[in-house]
Amino acid sequence: MSSPPLLEVDRLVMHYVTEKGEVSAVEDVSFSLKKGEALGLVGESGCGKTSIAMSLLRLQADNAVFKSGEIRLNGENLLALPEDEMRRHRWKDIAMVFQGAMNAWNPVYRVGDQIREALDLHFRPRLSDAEVTERISRLFEMVGLNPAMANRYPHEFSGGMRQRAIIAMALSCDPSIIIADEPTTALDVIVQDQILQELKKIQEELGMAIIYISHDIAVIAEVTDTIGIMYAGKLVELGPTVEVFARPKHPYAYLLLSSTPSVTGPRRKLAPLEGEPPNLLNPPTGCRFHPRCPYATERCSIDEPPMEVVGDGHQVACWNWQEVPVTISQEARP
Amino acid sequence: MSEPLVKVDQLTKLFPVSRGMFRRPVDFIHAVDGVSFEIAPGESLGLVGESGCGKTTTGRLLVKLMEPTSGQILMQDEGSLIDVAHIGSDDLRRFRRRVQMIFQDPYESMNPRRTVFETVSEPLAVQNIGSLREREDRVAQMLQLVGLTPPNTFLFRYPHELSGGQRQRVAIARALVLDPSFVVADEPTSMLDVSIRISIMELMLELADAFDVSYLYITHDLAVARYMCDRIAVMYLGKIVELGDTEEVLSNPLHPYTRALLSAVPVPDPTYRKPEVEIKGGITKAINPPSECRFIERCPWATDICHASEHPPLEDKGAGHFVACHLVDKGAG
Repeated sequence: MSSPPLLEVDRLVMHYVTEKGEVSAVEDVSFSLKKGEALGLVGESGCGKTSIAMSLLRLQADNAVFKSGEIRLNGENLLALPEDEMRRHRWKDIAMVFQGAMNAWNPVYRVGDQIREALDLHFRPRLSDAEVTERISRLFEMVGLNPAMANRYPHEFSGGMRQRAIIAMALSCDPSIIIADEPTTALDVIVQDQILQELKKIQEELGMAIIYISHDIAVIAEVTDTIGIMYAGKLVELGPTVEVFARPKHPYAYLLLSSTPSVTGPRRKLAPLEGEPPNLLNPPTGCRFHPRCPYATERCSIDEPPMEVVGDGHQVACWNWQEVPVTISQEARP
Repeated sequence: MSEPLVKVDQLTKLFPVSRGMFRRPVDFIHAVDGVSFEIAPGESLGLVGESGCGKTTTGRLLVKLMEPTSGQILMQDEGSLIDVAHIGSDDLRRFRRRVQMIFQDPYESMNPRRTVFETVSEPLAVQNIGSLREREDRVAQMLQLVGLTPPNTFLFRYPHELSGGQRQRVAIARALVLDPSFVVADEPTSMLDVSIRISIMELMLELADAFDVSYLYITHDLAVARYMCDRIAVMYLGKIVELGDTEEVLSNPLHPYTRALLSAVPVPDPTYRKPEVEIKGGITKAINPPSECRFIERCPWATDICHASEHPPLEDKGAGHFVACHLVDKGAG
């Protein structure tokens, strides 16, 4: 029997209320996360991936409204908790590595002191000063920083070092889940690689579950076991990363993979995706991808396709997934 | 190889770093330091490297948005050679017809108070080309070419009414409206979403053929460079460390920095096992750099030769594969 899920997102619907109307940012999204699992959510800007990340911590924007659905952590619905109880879970159970490591630190406090604050808030019984210092040193070593850096201010850190320190902060209270929202987006490729390898190593050593959120499908390929592909607020495909990359079933997933250049393999011809993502104030009827979909039929503009199981742990929301080519075209670029 | 369209020789740009009480510049960042390369007509050269390596500065020098500290940029113009650093004001206007730039951020590179027509036709107005009527026709034709169709629905829109991809199409139309022979494109797709990115890349490739234009394509993304460029040059702290045919450099990287960079690139294939990235330390700034190899502190292979010698010259190691490294043998290319 498989272990029960640590985290379950169950038919989550979240909208933003704006002057112009309601933005359907997250629409009927379900997935679960097991202990020690690395899940990736990938999609373009505005697809809802960051809205989901923020919802998991209940740090959503003020104009966000949860219309329906649940987020369960060990069976407990986080959306039903009062704020003070939710605060106990933040950092302690679910921690977050934000995008934009530059802005996540308070510039006038030493980095070590900012981590100390999180430890003081969450550790019961409270740790002694010596224990805290010891713990911060160990965390810094774990993420590849010199422990002496804990006494420095954020501006004395390079971008990569700040992101490492953010990871140290996220790990500080032994969370069971880390949400990494574009953890390396602002970084150069060599530093990005170092941070990703570090995160992967720590995650495996500590047996933590992690949710990576990224627009970069190559990053997701590298670090996750399971991938969820989002389009316009909907989760359109979910499955084992290796399987989804080898045999994407949703037309959007197929086209996304077909249009991702790589430095390895033959120089393939890349297939551009026509059109642009829809405005979520007024999303298309039926399948939200149908206006851009080369496989769309009449039904797609009327009925919304449900998630359908197409393989072991592999689900797709498409009426015509059987029309999608089985593998990505390897046609060479002329 | 035919006569190069662009010939860059020992191009150098130093930026003063002001320090101390009187803010006298005592130190210099060697942003671009003795860079030489050629671009053939119709060729697309990729300039790749991490932030701060000098790729953007090189691009700006080439379109004369900045003056070099030293070195030479020669450009072919209808049979004659222009020395870009010493263009007189008369020739400058002609130079601007031949050379254009596409910027990274389509949200910042366009005047928000100008319509698409005004933005795209401005170069024609500056150059005094055509009547208003002819300009309208030309702009409509350009919009058609960049896929903003039907053109009359776009002509009088403002940038805020366009998506990022559409704005970049306008920027491309503007860059090509004077039929230039050389375009510097600085990360033209890095702000765009994946699904939009490929269509812009494809468009640029198509138009390169149609307009017979050469690109200097600046990017941090090696996979994008591979798709767009015939040859690539890899920069590290102001120096070109490796240059050659794209596929040759990517399949047979010879400089230790290129190898590290290449093995760090994420690959969209979960079954791919990446090689270890062999590099030491973190990136530094090229402030008054020592005379030895620029990469020496981060190079895991550096030997006594590297410590005892000057920065190695960019040498042909075989078949037009240039590398600046003491440790790479001739014939390795």
